[in-house]
Amino acid sequence: MTHPMTKVIVPWLVLVGFAGAASAQPAAPPPAPAAADAQPPPPAEAHPALSPGDARKLCTQAMNADPKLAAEIVKTADEAAAVKRDADTVAAHTDAYAHVQKNERHVIYAYAAMWIVAALFVIFLWRRQQGLRTEIANLRRDLEAAAEEARPTGAQS
Amino acid sequence: MKKLVIPAFTLLAAAGIAISIYLIFFQAPLQYGLNEDGKLNGSSLFFNQKIFYFHTAHAMLMIVAVVMAGVSSILFLLSRRAEPEDGRAPGSALQAVMAFVRTHGPTWDDIASASVDVAIAFGAIALVTGSIWAKAAWDVWWNWEPRLTITLLLWMVLVGYGLVRRFAGPSADRVAAGMAIFGGVSSYFVYTMVGQDSHPAAGTNGVVATLGPGMRGAFLLSALSILCWYIALVMSRVQSTRAERELRELRERGLDLGVLQ
Repeated sequence: MTHPMTKVIVPWLVLVGFAGAASAQPAAPPPAPAAADAQPPPPAEAHPALSPGDARKLCTQAMNADPKLAAEIVKTADEAAAVKRDADTVAAHTDAYAHVQKNERHVIYAYAAMWIVAALFVIFLWRRQQGLRTEIANLRRDLEAAAEEARPTGAQS
Repeated sequence: MKKLVIPAFTLLAAAGIAISIYLIFFQAPLQYGLNEDGKLNGSSLFFNQKIFYFHTAHAMLMIVAVVMAGVSSILFLLSRRAEPEDGRAPGSALQAVMAFVRTHGPTWDDIASASVDVAIAFGAIALVTGSIWAKAAWDVWWNWEPRLTITLLLWMVLVGYGLVRRFAGPSADRVAAGMAIFGGVSSYFVYTMVGQDSHPAAGTNGVVATLGPGMRGAFLLSALSILCWYIALVMSRVQSTRAERELRELRERGLDLGVLQ
């Protein structure tokens, strides 16, 4: 006797299995191009085996052979460098602006310095006051003792 | 009652500084508002502008303290030059003032000395916070422009005043009084040089007078708090100076009695 749920699950599993098998098949090839578009695409590199050194050599030869081409290449390179330089400058300024605008570190330094100087001054005042009080008390005691000693014996009675 | 004056001013200063810090960091804007004519009443500010409130307040109170020391020193010197009292009641207002000046001679010296001490502390705070602000805003710690230079010179004169009082011997109070008058006069040049260099201008069109509403309250409260702090410090320092005088008198008595050698 089968479970009632089995009757529901098994057909679903079969359907899912067919769907998975269908998706696993390779995709159908694209339709053939029209006759007018049948030209092969141009190669990515004219000289795929050309090393950078060879390319530089070829370019140098071409520039030496044609001063106009050389001037154009130099002009294009200069323009590209100027654009990059300007972009770098703007980025640096933007970065500095953001840094200066939100600079919290120096504000903390300034407030800390203010409190430190104020605290040092108060400590200086307090220590000075305490020292003076102690010295005055000691001196006054010594003076009273000296005055007591200097007083004639008969004067005490 | 007199004993409560210093704690009262200290408490006022502490409460004022606490509220000012709240206003500075949580209420005062960094953007200026618009005037009635639609023009911006200032330019946008960076966060380092938060240094302005206490830097300027300390600088202003330093000038107040130096002027106070100069005026007190003039009164002290006048009290020494005044005619001795002949027992008669003063006839004119000027004579009454001179009699008042004469009878409070040591007090003027005490106030001048205390005021200079506080000015040294406030000047140090103004110079250090200003230097840090310059580094944050201009990327330099210091530049030798006239105002900064003369402020530093004034501060050095104040330090010299302290050294003279300590080491110049019996005539120290008179020599120091002369230096304090010189400092008081120099403070005028510090004020007039505001706006002649990289600092914003002073006066009716200056940065303080044209502060936006959110900034003005915070600045005025911070300046008032520092003023209370200045009064408390000067009064406390005057007490120390009186204690020093008492100690000198006791030493003289000790020498007379042979207790001290």
